[in-house]
Amino acid sequence: MDAFLQQALNGLTLGSIYGLVALGLTLVYGILHVPNFAHGALYMVGAYVSYFIMVEHGLNYWVAMLGAGLVVALLSVLCERLVFHPLRHAPPIHDKIAAIGILLFLEALVQMHWGADFRRMPTPYTEIFNFGGLTLPAQRLLIIVGAFSLMGALHLYLKKTMTGSTIIAMAQNREGAFLVGIDANRVAMMTFAIAGFLAAVGATLFAPINLVYPAMGHLVIMKAFVIIILGGMGSIPGAIVGGLIIGFAEALGGYYLSGTYKDLIAFVLLVAILSIKPTGLFTKGVR
Amino acid sequence: MNLTKTFRRLATASAVALALGGAAHAEEVTIGFTGPLSGGAALYGENTLEGLRMAAEEINDAGGFDVDGENYTIDIESLDDKYSPSQAAVNGKRLVQQYDAPIIFTPHSGGTFALQAFNERDGFLIMSYTSVPAVTAKGNELTVKIPPNFTDYLTPFTKITMDRFGKKLGVANATHDYAKYWTKEFVPVWRKAGGDVVSMNPMDYNKSADFYTGVSKVLSEDPDVLFVGGASEPTGLVVRQARELGFKGGFVIMDQAKMDEVAKVSGGLESLEGSVGVVPLAEYNTPGAERFVKLWQEKHDGVATSETAYHYFAMYLIMHAMQEAGSVDDPRAIRAAIPQALAKVDPKHNPYDVTDVTEDGNLGADPQIAEVVDGKVVIRETADYKD
Repeated sequence: MDAFLQQALNGLTLGSIYGLVALGLTLVYGILHVPNFAHGALYMVGAYVSYFIMVEHGLNYWVAMLGAGLVVALLSVLCERLVFHPLRHAPPIHDKIAAIGILLFLEALVQMHWGADFRRMPTPYTEIFNFGGLTLPAQRLLIIVGAFSLMGALHLYLKKTMTGSTIIAMAQNREGAFLVGIDANRVAMMTFAIAGFLAAVGATLFAPINLVYPAMGHLVIMKAFVIIILGGMGSIPGAIVGGLIIGFAEALGGYYLSGTYKDLIAFVLLVAILSIKPTGLFTKGVR
Repeated sequence: MNLTKTFRRLATASAVALALGGAAHAEEVTIGFTGPLSGGAALYGENTLEGLRMAAEEINDAGGFDVDGENYTIDIESLDDKYSPSQAAVNGKRLVQQYDAPIIFTPHSGGTFALQAFNERDGFLIMSYTSVPAVTAKGNELTVKIPPNFTDYLTPFTKITMDRFGKKLGVANATHDYAKYWTKEFVPVWRKAGGDVVSMNPMDYNKSADFYTGVSKVLSEDPDVLFVGGASEPTGLVVRQARELGFKGGFVIMDQAKMDEVAKVSGGLESLEGSVGVVPLAEYNTPGAERFVKLWQEKHDGVATSETAYHYFAMYLIMHAMQEAGSVDDPRAIRAAIPQALAKVDPKHNPYDVTDVTEDGNLGADPQIAEVVDGKVVIRETADYKD
């Protein structure tokens, strides 16, 4: 039983990070209607900005998190303004190519400045809690609490504020949104900013239990793509539930079945879910 | 205005340099290198190449070296093979045909095997940096293997950790080829010594977002000793997470991971208590190692690695071998002169104190190993743990 609870906790930790990254991806999908391949690179840049603020400049962890969130939000908006916005009338393939271009550019940029080495970002919270055989380091608890509070805040923002509603409106029906006078530019920039912020905060939460290196985004973004396909492209609850499904599948599957096949388990789940519900679990959003 | 001036000065300077160079009659000998200079292993490849460059620069700055009355300087020609054996073979052909290189360095076993397919026929000496024993065991006459065989570590690692912690081993190393090779050799040695392998859960060190699941699976069988290893930093994460999950035993650390780099991630040497692994360069108390660490710090950030130090030494070794052989282009004579050349290498150029070469070309016999005792690195001799 202990082992099961321990793995469930691991799954929750992983799932909440995956969920955060997938949320940003799914929000941007609602606007762009193409997957933003550069999202993993934004996640990686977020971790490096935190590293820069916290390790190289010795500031507080929370300051680093906020700083990374703002810098990456800005970077994300810049991507929208300079790259995706000018391409809005181009065929979708152009957006995809541009996104891959941004991904390669950001990775090369980070590697040029910091090199390819693994770096470590320490956590200020090093306590390890033990609840009757369950091990839970403080940082992991922080990941779970932090990720879910952010998801909650995002939900409130989207449902209860005017700007939030405009984002949902855009995702649901572009033409309809234009007809009621929603400013597409503003909504697009807002969405990109939120997605960038979520990615950077996710990276800052996760970095202390992992390593910081230029290719760190690949791992998470692969999972995030599976998650938004599984949950339904553009669907917000889909991203959260999908994140948890993949997180639990990895943790429990890796423990009870085989560590070597844990990625396989996630993909088998994807195939199984798509064969029952080809549009993903929650599809009331887009399409 | 300023620019033209600078340019003129530069032109004058190079003209002078050319004239001087011509006067000294310095010939160049080209040393080839094929290794990963881009992609995931780029840092490793650069580290190895940097060792060669550091030595070549010193030799050239000191006015080159004399062979048979003729003065030579060293020119390194490096080609990127992205860790791919087939690309290493193509590079090897190019280095021999286009650049006339009598000696080619390669820092991986795949590249070595690929070059061995034609090195005896095409006539070049392979300086191979890999700890896979088969590289020299297959009887290639023109191969020198620089670091120790990893199989030399197996018995000492087993004896030290088994005596201290117990007989139950958990395997939690990485999944790439080299790690599998290690596991295949290590597990039988552990069993033969009366040990038991209670859990086996290798993990992809480069593609896992988190090791908690994998590590807790291995720990669920309550092992006394964990076998870990892959790149240093992820190995550090595995060690850290094992300690967080309450593991109290020792670690056998595969030689790819460097203890000092592992410790940086895992939470200091205390977290590695009872571990055995290869000796970090900084802990080697030879004059050569101390000098090399300083030399490295003058021009680079971060810690000097063993691959750089070994390559630095190897460049000096082949320089002396050319002098002993009295030839810069006869690979067989150079290979035959390596035993005499070893005695000529100045200890300050020999951080690892290599003194012997086996018949089949293995330089790293009887290496030392490191054990962490009471939070400190203690050096042990592998020779003391032979069967």
